[in-house]
Amino acid sequence: MTTIEIGRLLRANTAGFVVGCRVNQLEAPSFGALVRVPQVDGYQIYGLIHDMHIDDDGLVRQLVTAEGVDESVIADNRLNRNVPLEMSVLVVGYAEGERVLHLLPPRPPLSLDQIYLCEADEIRRFTAAGRFGYFRHILRAKEMPVGELLAAHLAQAQEAHTEAGNHGWSDAATQELIILLRDDYSTLMSVLGALGDALPGKA
Amino acid sequence: MNEDQPKTIGYLVGGGLKENLRVRLTVPPQEVQEGAFVIIESGEWLYFGLVTDLQLGATDPRFADEQSETRLPPGMARLLHGQTLYTTLEVLPALMLERGPDLQSPDYPRWLEEIELGLREKPHPLPVKTVPPHHASVRLAQPGDVAEIFGKTSQEGNFIIGFTREQGHPVCINLDKFVQRSSGVFGATGTGKSFLTRLLLAGLVHHNRAAVLVLDMHNEYGFEDTASDTGLRVPGLREKFPGRVRVVGVGKGTTIRNQPPDFNLEVAMADIQPQDIELLTRELNLRETTSTVLDALVATFGLGRWFAEFKDMLVGATIENEEGKKVPAPHSVEAWAFRTGVHPEAAKGLHSKLGVLFRRAYIVEQPAADTVGEIIKSLEAGQHIVLSFGRYDSDLDYLLVSNLLTRKIRERWEQRTNAFRTSGEDEPRPLVIVLEEAHKLLNREMAAQTTFSTIARELRKYYVTLLIVDQRPSQIYDEVMSQLGTRISGWLGDDDDIRAVLSGLAGREALRSMLARLQPKEEVLLIGWGVPMPLPVRSRRYDDRFWEELQGKSSSSRSSDQILKELGF
Repeated sequence: MTTIEIGRLLRANTAGFVVGCRVNQLEAPSFGALVRVPQVDGYQIYGLIHDMHIDDDGLVRQLVTAEGVDESVIADNRLNRNVPLEMSVLVVGYAEGERVLHLLPPRPPLSLDQIYLCEADEIRRFTAAGRFGYFRHILRAKEMPVGELLAAHLAQAQEAHTEAGNHGWSDAATQELIILLRDDYSTLMSVLGALGDALPGKA
Repeated sequence: MNEDQPKTIGYLVGGGLKENLRVRLTVPPQEVQEGAFVIIESGEWLYFGLVTDLQLGATDPRFADEQSETRLPPGMARLLHGQTLYTTLEVLPALMLERGPDLQSPDYPRWLEEIELGLREKPHPLPVKTVPPHHASVRLAQPGDVAEIFGKTSQEGNFIIGFTREQGHPVCINLDKFVQRSSGVFGATGTGKSFLTRLLLAGLVHHNRAAVLVLDMHNEYGFEDTASDTGLRVPGLREKFPGRVRVVGVGKGTTIRNQPPDFNLEVAMADIQPQDIELLTRELNLRETTSTVLDALVATFGLGRWFAEFKDMLVGATIENEEGKKVPAPHSVEAWAFRTGVHPEAAKGLHSKLGVLFRRAYIVEQPAADTVGEIIKSLEAGQHIVLSFGRYDSDLDYLLVSNLLTRKIRERWEQRTNAFRTSGEDEPRPLVIVLEEAHKLLNREMAAQTTFSTIARELRKYYVTLLIVDQRPSQIYDEVMSQLGTRISGWLGDDDDIRAVLSGLAGREALRSMLARLQPKEEVLLIGWGVPMPLPVRSRRYDDRFWEELQGKSSSSRSSDQILKELGF
């Protein structure tokens, strides 16, 4: 199981949480990546990164308007900034031991819990469980760029499945999305448009 | 495809008995055609239906409007189309059949036992009275399903009339049932009516349960003919069934296709009755006074002599009386008219118009033999007659001879049936009279006057039925059409003809468009009482293979006893 820690929990509710991290931790996670929050007794919460935001502070505001700022000052401000980088995560399921459930967790993670990036085998395990039940959490979140998030997630997950020789996972996932969205023409076409860009050679 | 596991083509999504059932297709629409025979499986019941329409649908009209294959990668567009664009079948439910519990279920042996003990009715196809549930799976009929409904090809009396359109499974009609009621073969000209009739006649003669009298107006069925479209040789019934079929030519010395018939028909003048003449009103352009003159002729000379006497009368012949005045001669039409009080001009007019009949060589005062009686005897004795009109192929001859002969046959069969019912004599042999160009005898004006409409309506009880062959069914009297049991129709274009063929049947609207889209010369629609459910079929070819299958099968399956019996031992 991966040990790539991407940050600690800032705030949470049942449906999502926000991770704070340092700049030097920002290279590992990516938009659409699957992350997990280990809890006690083998209980873990899974989520998809759907937003990353970098807030300003007073010093940044001054530096933005200053002239001839030295590179070392910029580097110092980035590395030793007071305000953390934030990643918003959509909760898509949880696991109890070996059992993966695409349901909202019984309780949210606690602040300062460590967040880890899922590796290929974990991605495969989570995404192959059930019949894509976690898609409903994504499709319900209207405020998010659903198409982009699904495209990024499907591309990453297919890569993990391809490593294990399963080339048809994204086809099945796309089919499920079509079934779920066939009564919502505009959302479906937006999602498929994004998927077409993310998986040009697949589907 | 594995025959043990029939391929599912879709599942039931809605509909009802009145508006037909709707089935979502899960295979490409090209795999199913209008008119396909489908089975809907639902638990212990099978429902048999007919595809009457295929409709394209979309979960949202925009999926159909947008050509998404140009916007999405091909694989993704395919997945999208598979889920959002679909084809719906409209299925006319026709029959239902109980098939019992699952074969592996412990209830199955119990179910079988109950049937064997008579506690439960043996399953047989029933008219559909309920609907299968949602999502019941639908498949195309297998050979066993077709045999279950239309009968097994191996069963005596079952005749393969054609094959299902998609998979070519043989479809039978039961000839014993076919001859129980009058039936019809319809189709616009050039759609293969004559070949279909030939097939049926060959089947009927071969099965040999009913006598067949073919009123062959165009000399097509007795001897060898040449197909008008392909130019190929078409064998005749006489050639293929030399011992069973006799060809009769109308008129002495008549040859049919340059071959002599078995004997010639001559009509005795005594057999011609006034109603035979009235039947020819249109052909002879007769006037309203005709019936008065005919009544007077019968009153003067009697039913058996009036025609001959009238023929011998002279028109305009005069003699001088004692006073030297010219008066009508005693044997003139005028003299007879004066004697009987008939208007002389009316009598002269009728005599002039009947001149066409007076000159007909087949109408004789004293026939050399009782050929009409010979025809009836042959039919009673188990032979089949093709009455070819030879050179007398005008409507006038056809109407006169057909009606006269059929009247005699009707009298004989009625007499025999009454004897069978009252005195316990032999049961009459069923007789099928094949009537070409039937609208000429069974149109609205003529139907009341000819014997045929009576046969179509009532003579089923007297073992006589009609096989009507016609291209304009709309011209046939409704009352006759509604009595037809089995109807076999090729392509029809005219709305009135289509309406006439489908009159009195359930699901007319659904069948209407099917009839207009049949492939000419290739496909026919089986409908009516004589078939368990309507079905379009690819008709059987009337070729050498057909004869091999028909006669080859008979030669191997007939026992020596049967052959000896047929030879008269």
